Amino acid sequence: MLRGKNILITGTNRGIGKAILEKCVENGACVWAHARRETPDFIKLVSDLSVKHQIEIRPVYFDMTDKEAVKKAIISIRSSKLPVDALINNAGVMHNASFQMSAEKALRDIFETDFFAPFFLTQMISNLMVRQGHGSIVNIASMAALDGNPGKAIYGSAKAALIAMSRVIANELGAQGVRSNCIAPGVIATEILQTMPADELEKTKELTPMKRFGSPEEVADAAVFLASEKSSFINGQVIRIDGGL
Amino acid sequence: MTNEEKYANAFCQAFDIEPEAAKNLTFQAIDAWDSVGHMGLVAQIEEAFGIMLEPDDIVDLNSYEKGKEILAKYNVEFA
Ligand SMILES: NC(=O)c1ccc[n+]([C@@H]2O[C@H](COP(=O)([O-])OP(=O)(O)OC[C@H]3O[C@@H](n4cnc5c(N)ncnc54)[C@H](OP(=O)(O)O)[C@@H]3O)[C@@H](O)[C@H]2O)c1
Repeated sequence: MLRGKNILITGTNRGIGKAILEKCVENGACVWAHARRETPDFIKLVSDLSVKHQIEIRPVYFDMTDKEAVKKAIISIRSSKLPVDALINNAGVMHNASFQMSAEKALRDIFETDFFAPFFLTQMISNLMVRQGHGSIVNIASMAALDGNPGKAIYGSAKAALIAMSRVIANELGAQGVRSNCIAPGVIATEILQTMPADELEKTKELTPMKRFGSPEEVADAAVFLASEKSSFINGQVIRIDGGL
Repeated sequence: MTNEEKYANAFCQAFDIEPEAAKNLTFQAIDAWDSVGHMGLVAQIEEAFGIMLEPDDIVDLNSYEKGKEILAKYNVEFA
């Protein structure tokens, strides 16, 4: 589905981002695989996948909140002269606190990672996409942005801002061949769940019509579809992947 | 090519105009320099000097002269 495409994915060392990396490569894409830092595990992941699928994976390292480092990485991507066919904004952090217990520092920190960082990165990459006349931006948001789940005042607000950004990009850049969509996962079994209270997790599972958590691969399949030309007329949408919540 | 020539050339390439017409140009003074043309100009400037402009600088770049001031921040010097 992605043969001949070049895709930048953030946060690929674990969780949903790792599954997206695997699925993109399986589908024939060359990937700029982002991680915060170089680690032996990540190098092994990249090299195993690359050998298995006979495909080029180019690791890129930066802290999402370090704008200078992001800029350097984008300059090096630009100088490769390869088109950036898709950007998948996956890296993010979760935060749990009720509205009245949400501290200012957490508010600023979470917005820094979950909203400002993908905003700036997307600004830079969308410039390249406009120049090349095409591109697909996929933002991993959350059901918390849509449902106002208790305890997700900061996280849900940051992800809601990401959805708003995506919709504006869809409207502004659609005419120039750039699409932007969001995925809003429900509860997906990754390490991020360790930050959620156990009783809340159980309750969410109970409320989910499918009575289970999703897998990272189930989110990754949708990301591959949105990055690909199979979704060529889908723009400005939010796709829930939540087992029917 | 001097930096001044490279810079003027970026305008010529982006807007299909002569170098003389580039000087004193301001945003939206000609049809070609609309918001879409603006991104084309940014692309030409970035390519010419091997830099990546900050989003704030892209927004501030509203005239030929202002662009030169902005480029000074990226160590592009004009005689
Ligand atoms: N799992 C869920 O239930 C769920 C539900 C809805 C939405 N989501 C969203 O899905 C995305 C992936 O979540 P996940 O469950 O896979 O989480 P995860 O397992 O905790 O992975 C998060 C990823 O983001 C990276 N990251 C976070 N902050 C970063 C920073 N400042 N700089 C560079 N990288 C950074 C992490 O890198 P490090 O390893 O270096 O920390 C890691 O690769 C997130 O945006 C999350 O909000 C998840």
